[in-house]
Amino acid sequence: MEARGASRYYKMGESVVRAVEDVSFTIAGGEFAALLGPSGSGKSTLLNLLAGLDRLSAGSIVVAGRDLSTMDSEALARYRRLTVGMIFQSFNLVPTMTLADNVELPLRLAESPRSERRGRVLELLTNVGLAHRANHRPAELSGGEQQRGAIARALANRPSVLLADEPTGNLDSRNGHEVMALLRELNEKMGVTVLMVTHDPALAAQYARKSLHMADGRLVPGVEAQR
Amino acid sequence: MIRQDLIELAARNMRNARLRNALTTMGIAVGVASMVAMLSLGIGLQGFANHQLMKSGMFQTVFVTSRQDIRNMEENADAKPGESPVLNDDARARIAALPGVEEVAPEIRAMADVEYGDKTNLTLVAGLPWSTRDEDAVEKVKGRFFSSANADEVLLQRDFAKKLEKDPDWVLGKILTLRYAERQSSESDANLSIERTDKQFRIVGILDEEPFGGMRMVSRARVFLPTGTAEAMRMMQPADTQQLVRSTPGERTYTMLTVRMQSAAYAEKVEESVKTMNFSAYSYLDATRSMRRFFAVLDMFLGIFGSLALAVASLAIVNTLVMAVLERRREIGIMKALGASDADVKKLFFAEAATMGLAGGALGVALGWVIGRAINLGTNVYLQRMKMSAENLWTVPLWLVAGAISFSVLVSVLAGIYPAVRAARLDPVQALRYE
Repeated sequence: MEARGASRYYKMGESVVRAVEDVSFTIAGGEFAALLGPSGSGKSTLLNLLAGLDRLSAGSIVVAGRDLSTMDSEALARYRRLTVGMIFQSFNLVPTMTLADNVELPLRLAESPRSERRGRVLELLTNVGLAHRANHRPAELSGGEQQRGAIARALANRPSVLLADEPTGNLDSRNGHEVMALLRELNEKMGVTVLMVTHDPALAAQYARKSLHMADGRLVPGVEAQR
Repeated sequence: MIRQDLIELAARNMRNARLRNALTTMGIAVGVASMVAMLSLGIGLQGFANHQLMKSGMFQTVFVTSRQDIRNMEENADAKPGESPVLNDDARARIAALPGVEEVAPEIRAMADVEYGDKTNLTLVAGLPWSTRDEDAVEKVKGRFFSSANADEVLLQRDFAKKLEKDPDWVLGKILTLRYAERQSSESDANLSIERTDKQFRIVGILDEEPFGGMRMVSRARVFLPTGTAEAMRMMQPADTQQLVRSTPGERTYTMLTVRMQSAAYAEKVEESVKTMNFSAYSYLDATRSMRRFFAVLDMFLGIFGSLALAVASLAIVNTLVMAVLERRREIGIMKALGASDADVKKLFFAEAATMGLAGGALGVALGWVIGRAINLGTNVYLQRMKMSAENLWTVPLWLVAGAISFSVLVSVLAGIYPAVRAARLDPVQALRYE
């Protein structure tokens, strides 16, 4: 995963907001990296760019050998479907669907064979220890369970990259560590590249092997630590 | 996304906003019902009118005349009157040999004195061709039709039968005597002599309605006998005086021959063939063309008025789906983050619109059918009170059912375009930003 001069500008009336400006970095496959910075530093915008949810104003981002800046919206959708998985601070499970239906959603979008889906959903939920909660709605689950469910959903189509936006932001510390441990396990056992946005340096220090710091839309040089 | 998943997701979304979607679907149903009600009324009226014309046997009948006798009915006939041959027995045989022709019969009408018991009545007597027996030209015969094409039997108009007996049914099986003018002429004789002749007939049936739906000359007669019998009787007819001045006075000629086909499908060909023989031919297919045009326009107007309600319903679909887009902003954002393409989102909304259209269409057809039955029932109660026979003014053909449901789905999908495009354009970053 490589960014070269990645920039994202918004027009706000007359003025231009430079949410991300000229960001360049490289994250190797199988890495566990943290993206740190205060709120408003542009880290979430950068994550959205990497996720293919938002489009670059300038520069390029190459993930798994493919340049996101040259993709049309159909190709970006396929990229989001198959190459990256996303995890959000607010979990973003569909409230009207059961956990199993939520996990099945990316499989539906990827048009995977219907006969294999039930088994795959169960396997994913078993991996995050939620097989017994398959038929519950998100509102009936604890925050930690919801986030683990969201991780199962993000992994449904076996992405090579997992992008997490403040995954522990809405969790107490016990659940937070449980989720982080799960992410580390996935990273180590399955070789999934993880990039996690957080404003908590302690959390980053504990789990990430590499961290990037952002402030005012730019990467802060020198603090790019490799442990 | 594959179709089955789309349908499942759409159905799930329908269930999640059950009341709202049910109300919108009812709106569509009412729209479709009003359209179906209007159109089936139009179709029913057309069928009713067609049925009346069918009764007249006119679709299956071509009227042939010689241009010598009658100024041609068509303005642009090729042959001049002088070139048109005489309608004689030879011509009759040639026309009868044409493919699809069932019977060629002259129209015979004459005044005759009817003796029944001690009563005598002067009335119009006419021949009914044998082919009349198996069509509805003579609907509702009390008693029976003629036993053969040459039987000495008559049918009476009910009004006339009333003149003969207190209860008209009493005339059935009784004998009456016709006193008529019989033409006496031989091949060589240029003169025409007429003799008064009496002939006895058995009354076999009473007609409640005028034959041919009251639409032909012979319909006005009060006593009917088989055309075959009438021909053999050589009843004097007004046209016989024309025959007298012809070059071959003894030869039998006809003013008009009624050509009856096995089905209306032959009418055009027979008409064509008869014209190549240099006779004038006329069928009512020509006349009904303008009637059909009238009904096409009527159906169109009824359809337009009927679809107005559907147009209103389609606005309800737009409203419901726009609401759904607003309400499901986050869900759409999630789907896009998980890799749904713009097309996937669009298709999902179209599937929801189509589901409402399908359900509303099916419900509407059922509702329209019920409304139609009700109107039909009401009309018939009214008709019966007016002492008229019940008629079916209401027809819901299968193509209308299929057409109405497809139209409903089509309109719904069209109404879904705006909400679907709006949902597809939703920026996932914006949609996911707010809690």
